Amino acid sequence: MFYPQLVTGPIERPQNLLRQLHERKELNYDNIANGLRLILFGLFLKMVVADNLGMYVDKIYESPFDYSSGDILLGMLFYSFQIYGDFFGYSTIALGCALTMGFTLIDNFKTPYLSGSVQEFWRRWHISLSSWFRDYLYIPLGGNRVSIPRWALNTLIVFTVCGIWHGANWTFMIWGFAYGVLLILERGLRNIHLFDKIEGKTGRIFLNICNVAKTFVIVTLLWSVFRATSFANLHDLFTALFHNGTHASQLHIAPIAWIALVLFVLADIVIRESRFDVWCGKQKTAVRWCLYAFLIFAVIALSSVEQIPFIYFQF
Amino acid sequence: MVLLLLVALDVVYYFTLYTKDIEENCTLMEISQRAKDGVDVVYLGESSNHTYSDADTDKRFICQMIDDLLPEHCVGNLAKDACHAGIYYDILRNISPDSDVKTAIVTVNMRSFTAEWIYSNLEPALRKEQIMMKKAPALYKRMLLAFKAYPNWTDEEVSAIIRKNFAKQTFTLPHPFPYHNANEWDRAIGESNTLYNGKQPSMDTIAMACHYVKEFACTFDDKNPRIKDLDKIVRLCHERGWQPVFNILAENVDQMDSLCGPDLIWLLERNAQYVVDRYEPQGVIVVNNLREVRDPDFRDRDFPTEHYTQTGRLAIAKNVSEALKQRSH
Repeated sequence: MFYPQLVTGPIERPQNLLRQLHERKELNYDNIANGLRLILFGLFLKMVVADNLGMYVDKIYESPFDYSSGDILLGMLFYSFQIYGDFFGYSTIALGCALTMGFTLIDNFKTPYLSGSVQEFWRRWHISLSSWFRDYLYIPLGGNRVSIPRWALNTLIVFTVCGIWHGANWTFMIWGFAYGVLLILERGLRNIHLFDKIEGKTGRIFLNICNVAKTFVIVTLLWSVFRATSFANLHDLFTALFHNGTHASQLHIAPIAWIALVLFVLADIVIRESRFDVWCGKQKTAVRWCLYAFLIFAVIALSSVEQIPFIYFQF
Repeated sequence: MVLLLLVALDVVYYFTLYTKDIEENCTLMEISQRAKDGVDVVYLGESSNHTYSDADTDKRFICQMIDDLLPEHCVGNLAKDACHAGIYYDILRNISPDSDVKTAIVTVNMRSFTAEWIYSNLEPALRKEQIMMKKAPALYKRMLLAFKAYPNWTDEEVSAIIRKNFAKQTFTLPHPFPYHNANEWDRAIGESNTLYNGKQPSMDTIAMACHYVKEFACTFDDKNPRIKDLDKIVRLCHERGWQPVFNILAENVDQMDSLCGPDLIWLLERNAQYVVDRYEPQGVIVVNNLREVRDPDFRDRDFPTEHYTQTGRLAIAKNVSEALKQRSH
């Protein structure tokens, strides 16, 4: 068994992994240093970001009627970052463990929340899974080299199956199906050039920000379908969201949750061009060691003490 | 370089977040801190101390009753649900050496020695609390907490661990007996639906008989983790100059006798005597309350517990206070 990579992912192809398993491996300082950097960063994402946010998410989804509309929106936002921190953290730890031994695994995330469209989101989120579905289901079905109705059907099939892959629950199926519908809509709207008149660098930046925000809102809303334990739970969540507008906030969020969230967003922006270990290796020694000190301190002293298992281990 | 960094981080943590973490994650430390303001006797116990029956007119805790019976002393309540000797040791160890404590009354719950309690699903929470009470650098303790360095058993794991340890906790009786551990005895009752006397009562009664077997069918020896904990408590008390008092709690011997017969009673009494024989020579006052409370004065009817009515609590309190009075004379 190759322990760093589990059933949960990253989903490696034999052509990538088997070749490496047959290669002779030698201890390499750079691999070990980079691997340890990835492990440290992954622990930070899981233990500091995901787990600190997860505590609030669990409370809200468990009894949505106890919370105000604002709390519920915050819970949805927190879940978006919890699931990202949790799975990105796990994948990063797996990558780091493998790298210390000289193995290179596939990068599973490339700043997905900075995507400007749903299609782009799926090119950057859980890459090993989405590319697996692309190569083993979407393309054999004909991919996009078919008529538009057939392509739409293929898209719906692929994303519905992707939803069911996460578990035998209607919420997962709806979640996947909704993504299929959104991708079809996105393609349909591509030919409507509403914003072509926006010109200049500032205008383009503004448009990009709007697209990123739109995509993030869609993804966050769909994560609430994914997170709900059942239809009844989802119904309760949205009922409370629309009816508890005047309720006072019941959520007492510790400063560490906000700090973790802000740091995560900043880190995601900083490493959008390269992986954390590569980015870290390019920094000056003093900066690097300050970063190590902060990450070690955060992982030990700021992590949640609650038992919150990796989300993707249930799939 | 790394060592220096860790030392610096430890200092930063100690002066910033350590106190908050203790308050949030270690209520046991707060319990230790109750031994102040003139408290010279500390009472360490579990739920038996403060659980009462709805019909009780006197709802005082056992430690409050002892306090009232010993007006010349001030008894501090250091009890917490589901605690056992391992936890008592940590609570005692964290009492300030400057305190006025002279006597430590330690509850000895006979159920706490068997696998059923040692590996119960209440244990992980207590082990988690124990982490911050360790004698170790603050940051190291927080790291153990962060990485969940304590048991985190699922219900299935708890069942498997208990079964496995029941098999190890063998017992011997002075006469030939068909079973050698709680697993075998429990299975025999459960599969035959028959009590030791041949009666075939309701399933609830059979379940109760099985509970008694699982809670008490073992032989105490110096390998038992609770005996090791009691040994550590005795050593600590001697180091601090405190008088240790072991308060062996009453069990529902009447019900146990009717459901499981004299063999289980023999084991229970043998184990209580083991505690007396082991610790009295070491200067411990051992108060054996095993048969002090009769069946009607046990509150719970569906599981063996040490939750007494006011009569039961008072009987225990009187015996403990009498033993202390005799020693002071």
